[in-house]
Amino acid sequence: MKKLHPASVAARSLSRSVNVGLLFFIGGIIASPGGAGPNLLSVGGMVLVGILVAVVYEIAYYERFRYELTADTFDVASGVVARRDREVPLRRIQNVDIRQTILSRALGVAAVHIETAGGGQTEVSLQYVGEDEARNLRRQLRRGAKADEEDDATADDATDRDTVEEEGDEEELLFEIQPRELAILSVFTIDPGASLLGGIALSFVSGFDPTTLVPVGLVEGIPGTGSGIVAIAWAIVLFLLAAWVVSAVLTFNRYYGFRLTRVDDELYYERGLVQRYSGTIPLEKVQTLTITERVPFRWFGYGALAVETAGYAPGQSSSRGSESAIPLARFDRVVTLARDIEPFGDVDLEAPPKRARERYGVRYLLVVAVVVGAGYLLASATFVERWYLLAGLLALVPVAAHLKWSNRGYRVGDRYVLARTGFWNRSTKVVPYYRVQAVLHTQSIFQRRRRLASVTADTASSASFLGRAATAYDVDAERGLELQQHIEDQLQERLRARKRERTVGEWFQRPVADDKDDSAGSESA
Amino acid sequence: MERLNPRVRVVWLIMAVFRASLAGGFIVGGALLLSITDFWGNPPDLLVPGAVALAVILAIVRLIVAWLRYSVWRFEVQDDGLFIERGVFTRIKTVVPYVRVQHVDSRRSPLERTAGLSTVVVYTAGSRSADVAIPGLTPERAETLREELRRLAIESEGEDAV
Repeated sequence: MKKLHPASVAARSLSRSVNVGLLFFIGGIIASPGGAGPNLLSVGGMVLVGILVAVVYEIAYYERFRYELTADTFDVASGVVARRDREVPLRRIQNVDIRQTILSRALGVAAVHIETAGGGQTEVSLQYVGEDEARNLRRQLRRGAKADEEDDATADDATDRDTVEEEGDEEELLFEIQPRELAILSVFTIDPGASLLGGIALSFVSGFDPTTLVPVGLVEGIPGTGSGIVAIAWAIVLFLLAAWVVSAVLTFNRYYGFRLTRVDDELYYERGLVQRYSGTIPLEKVQTLTITERVPFRWFGYGALAVETAGYAPGQSSSRGSESAIPLARFDRVVTLARDIEPFGDVDLEAPPKRARERYGVRYLLVVAVVVGAGYLLASATFVERWYLLAGLLALVPVAAHLKWSNRGYRVGDRYVLARTGFWNRSTKVVPYYRVQAVLHTQSIFQRRRRLASVTADTASSASFLGRAATAYDVDAERGLELQQHIEDQLQERLRARKRERTVGEWFQRPVADDKDDSAGSESA
Repeated sequence: MERLNPRVRVVWLIMAVFRASLAGGFIVGGALLLSITDFWGNPPDLLVPGAVALAVILAIVRLIVAWLRYSVWRFEVQDDGLFIERGVFTRIKTVVPYVRVQHVDSRRSPLERTAGLSTVVVYTAGSRSADVAIPGLTPERAETLREELRRLAIESEGEDAV
């Protein structure tokens, strides 16, 4: 059994004492209201106690943490008060991620996270092991997972494997972000967290007094109530500007140096300027491919690709970004790479019937009616006048309905089902038939009136908890039933085909496996 | 196509009455509170009768939906998968292939026990259809269905159902 890297005590206590210290700091402030002198002392004391508690806990954590990689499982024994022994079968591992914050980079350590399909959170977190150990672990876990699938990789093979592990891996570079792409991505990405950070940054700049930000000369020039509105508008513009700058910096930091490589049948990505993130995506565990073309990027001909596996649990927001295989690239490059992973052929989609467009028109008419109605109520209650001008929105209804309609489509291919939707954030989902979990045919009352239906091919992908599932929206109801049946049949067919391949593979297992090892050895030698 | 046991309507109606009285209690109680205290300076006279009317309408809608749900609900144990059709407003037809079944439960709430009914729940690894419940089965039917699904799930053994 191995222990964590000794520096992990320092790294863990530092990050923990920030948290615990903050907690005790707040506790200290609440516990001692009023006055200044003695309270500073008591608050400081509380913070010190907090840090001390954190350090002691982390030493105990380090002492009681053991892990081991066996031939077919990864074992972890951990816990200071409540002990937990965990065994993860190697072939069940979905993703292995390595994360390094700025602190752990300084200490030369890295956090390793291992994801399987079950459970509510990351199954194994090693915080922290040495950088080399992290890289080794990733490689060994992958080897182990693969060798385990070739059922008869036993002890005598294990020695072969060890020798192969020593040698470098043959990497094929699939994608590297270009400065131009990174620039476009940073400029046009809106990070939701950035608005908050932007606000905080702004309040620091202004010295916690928002009024200092408003240029006095500008406001003085405008008479009456106008000055107030100008001041507010000015503040909003500044706020947006700050949020935008922060967002650009965050995105730049997140995707700086993004590289995607392929080793055997695994994708491996690296990214990050200050914090380094890297991880593996096993190709045989891919549930869904998503090609997204967000609006400003689509106009420049750019798109993004996300590879979804079943590894991450819902609500693990930090991992959402790490699943993206390409943050931004020219559309044709994105499609080429996507085809590399899953050869899904053409993307000529079948459009929904014309009556779906009428449906969207009616829907937007209702939205406009509600907006106009709200405007009327507002006008009758406040000084706002000419509420009826809102009816001008009617001109947008046909445009919006058409855009919504023209951006939707689906295709049932040979081995994949494709579904596209969304104007602002157009996403095309590619689902292999053998990954389908269940097929849903849904009809709302409004869809039933127009004989329309939505067909969803549900997978175990963890991204669809938050994002969209692969849904063909508003197809003809009859066609929808055929579609459902077709996907079902194809699922059974593909599963049978895969089973055949596996049985055939088992027959030739031994020679093939030996061959591969030999060639890998000779090429790198 | 197999229908549910008609007794399930009683279960659903009782649940609907229970939920409707809970929601109605909140609406009417809130309105009463607003009209008694002077939190809202000068509430309109129609506030409390309006709230009562709203609660009654909601309760009636709930009861109608609970009644109609039975006529829509049906399921079938097909060759490759379990087919389920349900939904009063949004009609959903689901096919769950046996290969994807992770495990099967049968469960009985106190209300179902008094009505002599049982529910079978089928779990998959999917993100949207992770569990599919078939309510309103007699305990014997639930037992046979669970056994049947278990057998079919084992027969159609896949890779690792993910």
